[in-house]
Amino acid sequence: MAITRINIGPVHPSTHGVARLVVDLDGDTIVNVEPHIGYLHRGVEKLVENRMYMQSPPYMEKIDYVAPMAVDELYVATVEKALNVEVSEKAAYARIILLELQRIASHLFFIGSVTNDLGQSFTGFMWGFMDRDKILKLLENATGQRMFYVNMRLGGINREFPQDFEYQTKEFLDYLEKRLKDYENFIEKNPIFIQRMKGIGVLNIDDAINLGVTGHVLRASGVKYDVRKNNTYYKYSELNFHTKILSDGDNLSRFRIRMMEIRESIRLIRDSFYKIQKADGSMIGMPVKLFSPKPTNKISIVNRELPRGEGLMYMVADDKKPYRLSIRAPTFINLAALNKIAKGHKLADLFSIFGTLDMVMADVDR
Amino acid sequence: MLSIERKDLLKNIEQSYAEGYTYLVKITAVDYVKTINLIYILRSLDKNQDKILEVILDPADLSVETITHIYQGADWYEREMQEMFGIKIKGRRAKRLLLEKWDGKGYPLRKNFEWGKSYEKE
Repeated sequence: MAITRINIGPVHPSTHGVARLVVDLDGDTIVNVEPHIGYLHRGVEKLVENRMYMQSPPYMEKIDYVAPMAVDELYVATVEKALNVEVSEKAAYARIILLELQRIASHLFFIGSVTNDLGQSFTGFMWGFMDRDKILKLLENATGQRMFYVNMRLGGINREFPQDFEYQTKEFLDYLEKRLKDYENFIEKNPIFIQRMKGIGVLNIDDAINLGVTGHVLRASGVKYDVRKNNTYYKYSELNFHTKILSDGDNLSRFRIRMMEIRESIRLIRDSFYKIQKADGSMIGMPVKLFSPKPTNKISIVNRELPRGEGLMYMVADDKKPYRLSIRAPTFINLAALNKIAKGHKLADLFSIFGTLDMVMADVDR
Repeated sequence: MLSIERKDLLKNIEQSYAEGYTYLVKITAVDYVKTINLIYILRSLDKNQDKILEVILDPADLSVETITHIYQGADWYEREMQEMFGIKIKGRRAKRLLLEKWDGKGYPLRKNFEWGKSYEKE
């Protein structure tokens, strides 16, 4: 049969940004998918070479605009390693609380966008975004900004938590736990949803490792790797949580991993609020100065479990500015695996696969 | 970090793969003006250990072997390095540019790159 080539995007409601997919079809079956990226390429790696260390966080936040704080923290942690700045115990717990809230917000965004991509109904989309908005309000209370926080400072964060923050957060977590049961009943156990997700977009464990996919895609294929456990940082080693894995490697597994991770994050936040009370040190980091301390480590490599997978920064330090900053964006490598995953499936399933890989095109292009 | 010769790259990568470093984390490069260093970060998931290989290249001759037959995930990283640093990857066919909107002239992450200057396509 003749191969039909169709073009999807660059501006398509389901491509989560500006992505173009060139799809070769045999009838209705996908033979080849080629993602064309770069529409959102801003050259962040080059931009930071011309900025003082603490001038760059606002750029970093725009890399992954669904979870800005996580990328910001990764960058600041890399600078901290280069400049040899210690993070106090209290600041470490504070960062964990904020980062885990950010992770839940990002995962709720994922639930909303996946159900929307399936065309299942508008309910999942509204639910996900409504609950995410509650977290954005909490973070606004804690940091002063709703989406782009820029609240990481060398050695800590920019301000103490407000007095009502703990109470509000715990109240929200109680609400979310009840709410997750609704998600489970309405989405995860929904027969139509399962039909569209189960067995679709299977990535087996060997391919997952060889392709270098990361985050929930890797864990859904059965690899137990989570940077928070395997290369632990801050106080994650003292907190009680599990790395969840599933072995099917299909769309449904990728979705279920995310649901489980929300529950783990809830535990982490509750635990951190308990432990932060007895923690030493100050939450506040250094004020932003253009001339930060001189770097002591020439090369610093830091990796973190971002909501979308493992992020890594490789920084070669100069006196005042980074000489070179290389960023490993988790979605970049997950998108590279799209062709392998989508091959042999129907065109209608392409966007459920694309959705469960959880793309943020700004993160892919940098 | 382990510095290796260019001619030993493939041998080292294959050996690392056999040792259990089956997961490729990242390929990146740094332009030190006198040399351009290509960096491979590999990971062993069993041993929970990272291994970093550094290949020091002369800017006059930037060709290296491809490793996509060992790690499929290396494909996009190699293309990125090709576009951003002008590293020539041997043993792979010329493909379209990975970053669509970039006109492909000059190598933006090199230190001698200047905005607004016109570069000839190689």
